[in-house]
Amino acid sequence: MSDAPTLIKMEGVKKVFYTDEVETHALEEIHLEIKKGTYISIAGPSGCGKSTLLSILGLLDSPTDGSYMLNGQPVGKLTISERTRIRNREIGFIFQAFNLIGDLTVYENVELPLTYRGTSSAERKQKVQNALERVGMAHRLRHYPSQLSGGQQQRVAVARALVGDPLILMADEPTGNLDSKNGEAVMELLRDLHRNGATVCMVTHDQRYANFAERTIHLFDGRIVEETKEAGVSA
Amino acid sequence: MGTIGQDIRYGVRMLVKHRLTTLVCVAALALGIGANTAMFSVAEAFLLHPVPFENSNRIVALVDSRPSQGIDTNSVAPATYLEWKAQARSFDEMGAYIWDSINLTGDREAEKAQGFAISANLFDVLGVHPLMGRTFLPEEEQVGKDQVIILSYGLWERRYASDPHILGKKVKVDGKTFEIVGVMRKGFDYPKPAEAWVPLSFNAEQRTIRDSRYLWVLAHLKPQVSVEQATAEMRTITAQQAQAYPDPYKGWNLRVLTIPNFATDDLTRQYTFLLLGAVGFVLLIACADVANVQFARVTGRHKELAVRTAMGASRSRIIRQLLTESVLLSLAGATLGLIFAMWWVYLIVSHMPPEVGRFIAGWNTISLDTNAFLFTLAVAIASGIVSGIAPSWLHSQTNISDTLKESGRGGSTGRSRHRLRSALVIAEIALALILLVGAGLLVKGFRALIVVHENFRPASVLTLSLDLPETQYKEKSGRAAFHEQVLQRLAAIPHVQSAALATYVPYANGGGTGVSPFAIEGRAPEERGETTSTIVETISPNYFRLMNIGLRDGRELSDSDGDSTPPVAVISKNMAKRYFPGENPMGKKLKIGKANADSPWMTIVGIVDDVHYTWVDKQEYPTVYRSYRQAPPYYNSLVLRTDGEPVTFIPAVRSAVAAVDPNLPLFDVLPFDRVITNSIVGIAYVAAMMAILGLIALVLASVGIYGVMSYSVGERTHEIGVRMAMGATSKDVQRLILRNGLFLTLVGMAIGLPIALGLAYALSSLLFGVKVADPLAFLGLPLLLAGVATVACYLPARRAVRMDPLTALRYE
Repeated sequence: MSDAPTLIKMEGVKKVFYTDEVETHALEEIHLEIKKGTYISIAGPSGCGKSTLLSILGLLDSPTDGSYMLNGQPVGKLTISERTRIRNREIGFIFQAFNLIGDLTVYENVELPLTYRGTSSAERKQKVQNALERVGMAHRLRHYPSQLSGGQQQRVAVARALVGDPLILMADEPTGNLDSKNGEAVMELLRDLHRNGATVCMVTHDQRYANFAERTIHLFDGRIVEETKEAGVSA
Repeated sequence: MGTIGQDIRYGVRMLVKHRLTTLVCVAALALGIGANTAMFSVAEAFLLHPVPFENSNRIVALVDSRPSQGIDTNSVAPATYLEWKAQARSFDEMGAYIWDSINLTGDREAEKAQGFAISANLFDVLGVHPLMGRTFLPEEEQVGKDQVIILSYGLWERRYASDPHILGKKVKVDGKTFEIVGVMRKGFDYPKPAEAWVPLSFNAEQRTIRDSRYLWVLAHLKPQVSVEQATAEMRTITAQQAQAYPDPYKGWNLRVLTIPNFATDDLTRQYTFLLLGAVGFVLLIACADVANVQFARVTGRHKELAVRTAMGASRSRIIRQLLTESVLLSLAGATLGLIFAMWWVYLIVSHMPPEVGRFIAGWNTISLDTNAFLFTLAVAIASGIVSGIAPSWLHSQTNISDTLKESGRGGSTGRSRHRLRSALVIAEIALALILLVGAGLLVKGFRALIVVHENFRPASVLTLSLDLPETQYKEKSGRAAFHEQVLQRLAAIPHVQSAALATYVPYANGGGTGVSPFAIEGRAPEERGETTSTIVETISPNYFRLMNIGLRDGRELSDSDGDSTPPVAVISKNMAKRYFPGENPMGKKLKIGKANADSPWMTIVGIVDDVHYTWVDKQEYPTVYRSYRQAPPYYNSLVLRTDGEPVTFIPAVRSAVAAVDPNLPLFDVLPFDRVITNSIVGIAYVAAMMAILGLIALVLASVGIYGVMSYSVGERTHEIGVRMAMGATSKDVQRLILRNGLFLTLVGMAIGLPIALGLAYALSSLLFGVKVADPLAFLGLPLLLAGVATVACYLPARRAVRMDPLTALRYE
């Protein structure tokens, strides 16, 4: 894996939130490199900046300072529309609360990133079908999220993240709203995807799930305080 | 295209899902759009197509105006017209016309028809051709060769049963034999409401008249000549005329108007624009309501929209999605609004008495045509964009990273959203107040018009008009004898209390009276720097008593004032005040026309109360009353005070007049109260429409403030929980919410009141009876609005105080 090209490289990234007269330093001096095909988890206690880091990694937010290269391209200072375009094409998101749109069917939810990409209807159909088959939800195409269990909803969310063949999957506490059985199942799904070549970056505060990753970086008060590597994870 | 289809599908799904709010929005927009569509149809008829001519913008009216007397549009004198026609080079054709009511007799029952004497080329000026026969020949403008007539389609159909062999037939017009030479096409009735046309001819004396203005002049512009160029040329010609003949042209200015501007008078225009403004306000209020609903709806969907953004939807794509929903809402509102507009147009058209509608240019073209549909579509799309753009734009600035977190509420734009929602409510209140005040003033003004005539006790009076043909009644004695006999016969009808004669019945003929210059013995008109003009009423002595017009000084006219006694006159209070200030007018002499005119000097013997002739005039016009025995008229009206329902006397009245002259048609036979309502029907329409629009605005504004306060309570649930946990009582919480809502109401009223005051000033100059400092408008209506707003705030406040503090505290 060490020979794999670098997908993400962060140097000296800071994030400061300004609320009225209060300045909150959410991230300080983050240096991080993620190679293609890596499964990395970001761990740490609540409020340590995990989600903020994931938001910046996923181009949902921009750093206050420092540089961020994604696939060799500097993305820290992009315009909103450029960030939107890259997010759509190169990043797949999985959220703790699934964040499926309740008024769209399973099919329409998974189709969403392709719609915004301008993919043709026929191609969308095929890709959505494939993605749903990969997560074992192809039989629930016409269902609405409210008709699915939490685990099933998260599988649909994974399919939505996968459907556009992104460079990296960003998962923010993907098991946070699931019971242990469903949580395990989702983690197995992510591990399968990783084994098939996907780069996965996951935020979790649960050490059991962090162990699914090859690398775990530990955050505390907005700083990376430790990095651990799991042996034989991809075996 | 495919993605737009997706947006539409999803938008429809959203609207169906939120049925109640969709219904409220659709209803609000339907009211706003429907009112606009209906008003557009009216405005289109009045302002854009009041006349049915192609290239109507190439036809102009050349009119006189006298700004010093507030006369905007006046006819011109024959000599003036003939010189214009000879000298002007800007026009292909120039023609003229005058009103010329005609009595049709001979072949069938006597009938009064609305005729016009027109120059031979007038139809060429207008670019119209007859259905049958021909128009007039130039030589038919000569006296003696002018006994030819063209019929309107309506008259041909009604009186002559669409006789295909009508051409060449002879008819009696005012006792003379005329040949029918043409029939015009269906629907052509210009100048409105023409039923027949005869040639306009001038004798040698008439050709030199410069100071008696009675001709309306129309001209067709040559290709490549603009209205401005033609105006410049005509001003040069009129300047030369004024130089050559200073006296008759002093103070008069030429105006060149395109025929649509000429056909619809300034007052109709002003009221049309007033109503257009009012419906525009209603639409804005509806849009503000919908925008507020959209804010709430979009806020409820912040997570969904954040997910879409995270999935790669650009800001413009999100805005497009939300605008699609908003426009869909508007289109649904427009669809319902069209039905509402159809109903409104039906009400407008069906409630207009036909005897009034036929005089109004463009009235018979009021309908929901293609233009109205296109207008509705455009308004719907614009409304959708107006009501959707702010919520969409503000949402697109939400911090998606925060929103996507489990408890994220997307609140980074919450404050600006709140500010904008508050601003919308303030605007709604301000607009509603302006509309309410406008409506209140117009309704009060209208009521004043009704009240001012109660003194006449019009419900028991029958009015009618007749026109004695000059050929038959050339002699004064013959006319006087005719009137004498008719009045005697009418008075003898059972249950008729009295019958009187007058030239003009107040408010009849749309309030048109015509005024004449007059001279006061020993005083030049220029002495006072004023033009001395007056309404001249020729009456029977009992007219004052019949109409309850009070005598203020001197005596009334009497039966003994006859042809052999010295001419006498009674004047109105207004005339005495205006022309005899600080003097006693009794015994003074005046005459109709200039001091050197042939008419006799009349001695003033009495002063009577003023009479209001038209709702347009804010002040009564000076009036001179003279006896019919001393100046027997050709044209006059008759009034009968009856013991019963006036219309039941019509057959007896017809028989009585026919017994004196069977060939004399009666016309405008109407109860006096109908004459009054017909005369003020236009302002009644405006007042009624304003009242309805004011009510709609009140309802919409209260819905708006309710929505905002309700939303605000929802947003502040947690805060309310904390306050209650800290010991706030129900009253404290209620006061908090009410204070908030009433503050917005008061700010809206503070903005709206000065604008409403400006509107009141404008209306007071337009309408008799409208006062600027009106307590109802400026105290009662704001209090009503504040009251309704208080109720709208109270309901959410009540909900707030019923909250369980524990539940409220858990609320995120």
